[in-house]
Amino acid sequence: MTFPGRDPDVDALRTDRYLDSLLAAADRRAHDVPADAAIDEPLRRTAARLRRDLVRVHPSFRFEERLAARLAHEAAASQLAPAAGAEGSVAAIPITLDDEPAEEEGFRPLLIGGALTSAALSIAGAAYVAWRRARPSRLSRARAARQRDRSTAARAR
Amino acid sequence: MARPVFGRASVTHLDRDRGLVEAARRDRQQFDALYRRYLAQVYNLAFYELSDHHAAEDATERTFLAALANLHRFEERARPADGEGASTFRVWLFRIARNMIANERREKRNHPAVAIEAAGTVPGTTNVEGGAVARDEAAAAWRAVAKLPADRRRAVVLRFVEEMSTAEIAGILGKSEGAVRVLIHRALKSLGRELEPKQ
Repeated sequence: MTFPGRDPDVDALRTDRYLDSLLAAADRRAHDVPADAAIDEPLRRTAARLRRDLVRVHPSFRFEERLAARLAHEAAASQLAPAAGAEGSVAAIPITLDDEPAEEEGFRPLLIGGALTSAALSIAGAAYVAWRRARPSRLSRARAARQRDRSTAARAR
Repeated sequence: MARPVFGRASVTHLDRDRGLVEAARRDRQQFDALYRRYLAQVYNLAFYELSDHHAAEDATERTFLAALANLHRFEERARPADGEGASTFRVWLFRIARNMIANERREKRNHPAVAIEAAGTVPGTTNVEGGAVARDEAAAAWRAVAKLPADRRRAVVLRFVEEMSTAEIAGILGKSEGAVRVLIHRALKSLGRELEPKQ
């Protein structure tokens, strides 16, 4: 009950202080606390009842662990993303090879400034091997190796 | 804990969660510590707001995923008025939760769920008859709180269930501390009328 002429802000402030002490009392396992006489008795009863009846509910352990696993996965993914190239940049650098035509091989992408992950290395490695198999090298040592293979095969026949 | 800030007359309080937040920023796997600290609190707010375990789990999950993704945007803003042990991280997290819960409520409005499950959540007691009375009273309190206008309901839940200070609630609801005090005061008065036995 608010008496006519009473400032609602002052009443609200008194209530707030009472709630502070009520909630602190719960930590001390005290059932009630001395209150400002200006606070209505019904309001004190309501506050005490809410303190008692609005219980905390804990999520299930299963949910907790499932979400923890998902967050860990998201955290790992977000840490890998920049390492795979987001922090670096792909720049085309002209490289002229001594025994290969410049118009075909002139530009090779390089990763600069970013940390290469093992995954990125594996993909790049697989791509390089596939490309290399499709295009035999014209370097003198490679030519000699191919020549040796061919002559070994001819002798075997 | 406090530290002086050069060039200012005031003292800036450190956020209670500063260490955990900094660790999580360095290594996101460390976010787990913040998650474990606040999971139950976020879930509680979601459950009281949504009255449904599954919807509360969805809102809780979205809250923590958004917090992890946006951790780099969090700015610590603890003030002396927030008192010792204040956490602006908690306020920031609960602001995210408030938005996620609002989205979930909108979705729920299209797919109405069952009423609040308060009776099943009140701690058990060896006194069966007394336990039933306690459950009925708790259910009545939950129903009365659920009927409050949204801002009053949130303020009451944050004050009584989460035991937050008026300053923290003001930060979460985006209102002044005076406005929050008035919200709670008015909520208590209307709850009193609802819960007190009729004369």
